[in-house]
Amino acid sequence: MVQTRKLKDGSRQVILNGQQYEVITKVLTELATKTKASAILFADMSGQLISQRGNTEDMNTTVLSALAASDFAATSEMAKLVGEEAKFKLLFHEGEKRNVYLSNVGDDFFLVVVFDVSVTLGLIRIYTKKAIEDLNAALEDTSGDTGDEEKVIDSDFSTLLGNALDDTFK
Amino acid sequence: MFINWALQEINLKIVYYGPGMSGKTTNLEHIHSKLDPSLKGDLVSLKTKEDRTIFFDFMQIEVGRIKGKKPKFNLYTVPGQVYYASSRKVILNGVDGIVFVADSQPHRMEANIETLLDLENNLKQDSHTLENFPWVIQYNKRDLPGAESIDVLQKRLNFFSVPYFEGIAVKGDGVFNTLKAVINQVVQNVQNQL
Repeated sequence: MVQTRKLKDGSRQVILNGQQYEVITKVLTELATKTKASAILFADMSGQLISQRGNTEDMNTTVLSALAASDFAATSEMAKLVGEEAKFKLLFHEGEKRNVYLSNVGDDFFLVVVFDVSVTLGLIRIYTKKAIEDLNAALEDTSGDTGDEEKVIDSDFSTLLGNALDDTFK
Repeated sequence: MFINWALQEINLKIVYYGPGMSGKTTNLEHIHSKLDPSLKGDLVSLKTKEDRTIFFDFMQIEVGRIKGKKPKFNLYTVPGQVYYASSRKVILNGVDGIVFVADSQPHRMEANIETLLDLENNLKQDSHTLENFPWVIQYNKRDLPGAESIDVLQKRLNFFSVPYFEGIAVKGDGVFNTLKAVINQVVQNVQNQL
């Protein structure tokens, strides 16, 4: 699985290595080609965008990821209220021109597929299902971990960050 | 915290928590209005017709590269009103640091305390506690006549002696100091635990 560390206070630190990122991006590219989706996003359940494919230039994908994550979180609370013990696995938003298909990838990640109404939902479902299997496999594969990840934040880093914040917030 | 090693990105999630009308959205609005456009994204607010936050506000800010790494800060607010309890819980998912925006007016003391207990309760469900979690307090609305003294606010609300700041968010006073402090807390927290 993707490298996850639990800190003493209970916080979760998730680290994606370069190899995993490469595979994820490849899977998204394939999915975009096969489904002709307008945009595909892969993000983590806290709302952080990890990778994107398709025509995303005019789309604020950072915000889209944050909204989609909240969408997931809200519907899983809804699931509890209506007596569904598991979380809802997929969410579908139907529009006049575009539809959005959201599906979870394991417990910690999800996929957003934005597509034109001319593309059939069945096609999206089939290819997305396959993509999710590939994404899960990529997240499971830790052979690309280098161990350097642990040194990301040292005391030097926090001093420099403090200075950068001072500059930014002047 | 989410680290994308391939892009050298470090993503942190900071949540502004506090009772209704304490100034959480105002904090974000000030940050958004002052930052260089190249360092900030859109400020998205999910509001009711009456301009009250119904789900959350969100914006992402950056500070450029540091030792080759690109830290990104995702700032969220929660809806303060009591009946949006479930929404507040949802926003806390994956949180790295919290700013508790307290209302300094004496008649809001109970609301401050109630919201702080609500926060503790929500954090516990994610196996965090206020005692160990990185958070700071902003005593907002210091300019209002009759604002409670800092001594009293400290005694009633800051039982873990976390860093605190006086704020007048509508004018921007204390806003950046608060944000900087919570980011520091998060980074130190990570360092201490490695």
